[in-house]
Amino acid sequence: MFRRGRLLLWGACLALAVALPLVFKSGFMLSLLCQIGIMVVFALSYNMLLGQTGLLSFGHAVYFGIGAFISMHTLNMIGKDGGPLVVALLPLVGGLAGLLAGVVLGWVTTKKAGTTFAMISLGIGELVAACALMFPGLFGGEGGISGNRVVGTGSLLGFTWGPQVEMYGLIVAWAFVATVAMFALTQTPLGRMANAVRDNPERAEFVGYDTQRVRYLMLILSGLFAGVAGGLTALNYEIVTAETLNAHTSGVVLLMTFVGGIGFFYGPIIGAILVTVMQIVIGGMTQAWLLYFGLFFLFMVLMAPGGIASVIAMQRNLWQAGLFRRMVPHYLAVALPILVLLAGLVGLIEMTYALLAGEGVGAGDTATKVMGMQLQLASMEPWAIALAITVAGVALTRWIGGRTRAAWNETLATLHGDRT
Amino acid sequence: MTAPAIRLSGLRKNFGASEIIRGVDLDIRRGERHAIIGPNGAGKSTLFHLISARLPVSAGVIELKGENVIGLKPFEINRKGLSRSFQITNIFHNLSVFENLRCAVLWSLGYRYSFWHRLAGLTDARLRADAVMEDIGLAKRRDTPAGILSYAEQRALEIGITIASGADVILLDEPTAGMSRSETDDAVALIRRVTEGKTLVMVEHDMGVVFGLADRISVLVYGQIIATDAPAAIRCNAAVQEAYLGTGSHLGHQP
Repeated sequence: MFRRGRLLLWGACLALAVALPLVFKSGFMLSLLCQIGIMVVFALSYNMLLGQTGLLSFGHAVYFGIGAFISMHTLNMIGKDGGPLVVALLPLVGGLAGLLAGVVLGWVTTKKAGTTFAMISLGIGELVAACALMFPGLFGGEGGISGNRVVGTGSLLGFTWGPQVEMYGLIVAWAFVATVAMFALTQTPLGRMANAVRDNPERAEFVGYDTQRVRYLMLILSGLFAGVAGGLTALNYEIVTAETLNAHTSGVVLLMTFVGGIGFFYGPIIGAILVTVMQIVIGGMTQAWLLYFGLFFLFMVLMAPGGIASVIAMQRNLWQAGLFRRMVPHYLAVALPILVLLAGLVGLIEMTYALLAGEGVGAGDTATKVMGMQLQLASMEPWAIALAITVAGVALTRWIGGRTRAAWNETLATLHGDRT
Repeated sequence: MTAPAIRLSGLRKNFGASEIIRGVDLDIRRGERHAIIGPNGAGKSTLFHLISARLPVSAGVIELKGENVIGLKPFEINRKGLSRSFQITNIFHNLSVFENLRCAVLWSLGYRYSFWHRLAGLTDARLRADAVMEDIGLAKRRDTPAGILSYAEQRALEIGITIASGADVILLDEPTAGMSRSETDDAVALIRRVTEGKTLVMVEHDMGVVFGLADRISVLVYGQIIATDAPAAIRCNAAVQEAYLGTGSHLGHQP
C-alpha cells in the first residue's frame, strides 16, 4: 500500500503540518489550523460516502455532532479522575459514538441508494437536529454544553492540552492516523467494492455482493471517522452546540468535499483547507461572506465539476506531456479580466449589503468602506463605476476566456492525440 | 442421477395484464451448451432475468442444481454458482479492466466485505483476474478505464466478469450483439474456450453462432417453448419453421 514515493509524500505532509505553527505563531492562525485539521478528517469521512460509494448524504453532521456530544459528556463525566492520556483518547470515544450512530441510523438510510438515500439522510438529519433542541438535558439546548479539556494534575509526556498549540499537536496526530486509516480502507476489498457499487450497483449484485450491505458498512465506517472529527472539535472548542449536528454543518461538509474533488482521495483535504480558510478569513473581512461562498460554489460546480483535485490532475497530465508551458500565458491572460470582474462584483455586493443590511449600524447607511475606499452610497458615482467595472470585466472575460478555451481544447486534442 | 443444472417448471411472468412468460418447462442438462432462440419480443431476456432473479417470478419454480431458488436475491443466486452477462453492457465504467475483473473474483475467493485485507496483497485474486484478462484478450488494456474501451472490448470484458468467479452455470444474453463478422468469430472462440466443462445457456440472434456452439436449442415463441432439440432436429422442425417467418428459409441459409 505504501510505495516509497507515497511514503515520502505522507511524511512531507505530516512534517508540514507539524512545522506550520512554528511559522504562523499568532493565535488566529493557530485556531485556523486547528479547525482545518478537524475539517480534513470530517470531509474525508464524508467522501467515503459521496466519492467512494456514490451516496449523497445531506445529514452527515449527525455523526460528527453525536461524536462531539458524547465526547463532551465523557469528558465531563471523567472530571478529575481523568488525565491528559484519557483526554488524548477522547476522539476515539467520539469515533465509537459515530460508529454506533451509523449502526443504528445507517440501517435505515442505506436500504436504498440514490435519491431515496439522499432524502432519508436529510430526514434523519432534521430529526436528530430537532431532538437536540427538544432534549436540552442531553444536548444543552441553545447554549450547548461545555467542558474543560485540562483535567487532573499530571501531564502526558509534558502535554496538558491546555495551550492551543498542544491541542493543535493532538489534532494533527489524530488527523494523520485517521487519514492513513481512511486511505488504507480504499485499498481493501470493501473499499474497492464500494467503488463497484457506486459505478454499477446492479452488476455488483451479479458478482455476489449485497449492495445494501456494502453501503451499510461504508456508512458505519464513515460515521466512525466523522465521530473522531467530532471528538476533536469538542476538545478544541471546549463547547458543543446543536449547530454541530444540524443541516448547515452537513451542507458545509458537502461543499468542502465537492469543491475539493470527490474523485480523488486527497480532494476533500484540499476542499477542507480552502473552504475553512475562506470561511474564517473572508468571514473576518466581510459579513457578506456567505454570499461569496455561494458564488464560489456555483462557479466551481459550473466550471470544474470534478473539483480542484481534478483541475490539478489535469494540469499534471499536461505537465507530463510537456504541454503545460503552452497553457501558462493563457492562464495569466485570463486571470486579469477575471480579477477586474471580481473587483466590480465585490464593489456592487458590498455597497448593496451596506445599504440593505446596514452593517450593524442600522439600515440605510449612507457610507461604507470597500477595499479601503470610503464610498458615498447616496451618490450615483460609486454605483456607476462599480457597474462599469463589472460590465467591462464580463466583456473582457468572455473575449479572452473564449480564446483561452480554444487554446485549452487545442491542447487537449494534442494530449489525446499523443496518447493514441 | 444428478439434478439438471437448471430446471424451470410452470414458470410464468406477467407485467400487469400482459403475460410475457406463459408457462415454461425446461431442463438444462449439466455441462451442455444450450441456446434459446425466438423472434423479437418472445421473452428470451425476460426468461434470463427470472432465472438470475433480476425480476421476481409470477408463478412457477426455478431449481438450480436441484435447489429451489425462488425468492433469492441476485447475489445469493450468484453465490450458488450461477453467473450471467447482459445484453446491454453492464460493467464498472470508472474502474480499470483489471479492477473490474478483480471485483468479480473477490466474493468467490472468500474475501467478502473485508476491510482488513490489502488488495495488493491478495495474490490469488490478482492471478485469477490476470488469467481471465489473458483469456479474454484484454491484457494490454489492463489499466484502461472500462468506460473508454471499444465496444467489442467491452463485450469481451462483459463475458470476462461473468466467468471470472468460476461459476459453473453461465448465462450469456446476446454475447455477440452488434459485433462485426470477425469480432463475432473471436467471441465464439472465446465463449467456447471459457465455458469448457461448464453449463452454458445463451440467448442469441445470430444463427451462425447458435448452430455453431449449441448442443441443444430451445425455441421460445410468445412466452412458450415450442421445441427443444438438437440443432439438426430444430432446423427441420415444422413448428419452428412456422414461427420463423412462416418458412424454413431463414434457418436454412445458415450452416
